[in-house]
Amino acid sequence: MDGFPACSLPGPAGALRPFSVVRDRVPAEIAARVAARFGVSEAAAGVGDALDVRAAAAVLLAQADRDILRGAFGLNRFLTVELTEREEGTGAIDADWLGAPPVERGFYLSLTTGTAYGLQCAVLVCDELTRRGVLTPERRGNVELCLHEAIANAIVHGNLGIPSATKEQPEGYRLFSRLLRERLGDGAVRQRRIDIFARWTADSLSIAVVDQGNGFDAAALPQDTDSGAHSGRGFVFMRALARRIHVTDGGRCTLLQFDL
Amino acid sequence: MNFQVHRSSETIEVLLSGRLEFTDHDSLPDLVDLLNNEGTRRFILDMDGLTFIDSAGIGMLLILQDEAEQRNIKLILRKLQGDVLRSIDLARIGEVVAIER
Repeated sequence: MDGFPACSLPGPAGALRPFSVVRDRVPAEIAARVAARFGVSEAAAGVGDALDVRAAAAVLLAQADRDILRGAFGLNRFLTVELTEREEGTGAIDADWLGAPPVERGFYLSLTTGTAYGLQCAVLVCDELTRRGVLTPERRGNVELCLHEAIANAIVHGNLGIPSATKEQPEGYRLFSRLLRERLGDGAVRQRRIDIFARWTADSLSIAVVDQGNGFDAAALPQDTDSGAHSGRGFVFMRALARRIHVTDGGRCTLLQFDL
Repeated sequence: MNFQVHRSSETIEVLLSGRLEFTDHDSLPDLVDLLNNEGTRRFILDMDGLTFIDSAGIGMLLILQDEAEQRNIKLILRKLQGDVLRSIDLARIGEVVAIER
């Protein structure tokens, strides 16, 4: 497991982490905790416009889109977190991401489900791994597909709670689309987090994808999928293309490992 | 994913482009509706412009295959390449869907 603490991060099933706020500024309490955790000055970590601060160990985003995330990655910080709108800074600010250990060869990205859906996170993460010299063009395709599948599972089956079997019933695809729209329209569901934690050595890359859904029994996953089945191939792809895949935390964490 | 439709007497050809993935489920009913065109015998998906397909996208192709079969229409996948071909091969859907290499 390479000491992947991200896999023990999620809170209770279906619960939002006691995360905090913010639209236009990072609350002082969060800034203080970031500063304490990562050993930077509060002034540096407590940023309203996080992208303007070069000294911070963390980049905290009030909102995230593709360009903002690329800009945040460009700061070469370990931690990139999109804050949620809930709690307005009054709740307990004891966010799990503060426990993610900063490592030199790695980064941690935490997004809300509403943002992660449709953002092509796997492309963004692989772009960043390429920019940091971790992924070669030859390795990238397989890593991107595996990561995409892990993220898609985390979003759809994890945080949105839509069972894979939905598509197997007659006209199930119409029900699946309806459920997607309904769940994405639920503000509380949209704010569940997708965490991606990448770290690497000279010859190995590990990526953990963590959701806040109800989990599943990984032991019950079939080793193969009927060639005509409408679902269930994500793990087939990951098993075929990754050196190792490990599911922990009751199905809420998928750890992918690749040779470099 | 985007698509363009070309119709001839017995054939509907759909040119897919972009990425076909789990966020594209809303497009599937539109593709299924094309199968209801009277007199259609062949439904060709031209994948030359497709750059990526995930397991959900492959599931959509298999749903189209089932829907086509129910209407006695032959579904054909055409011009697969690159990452799309890799995913299709990994999924082994050539056992149930006609693929023109």
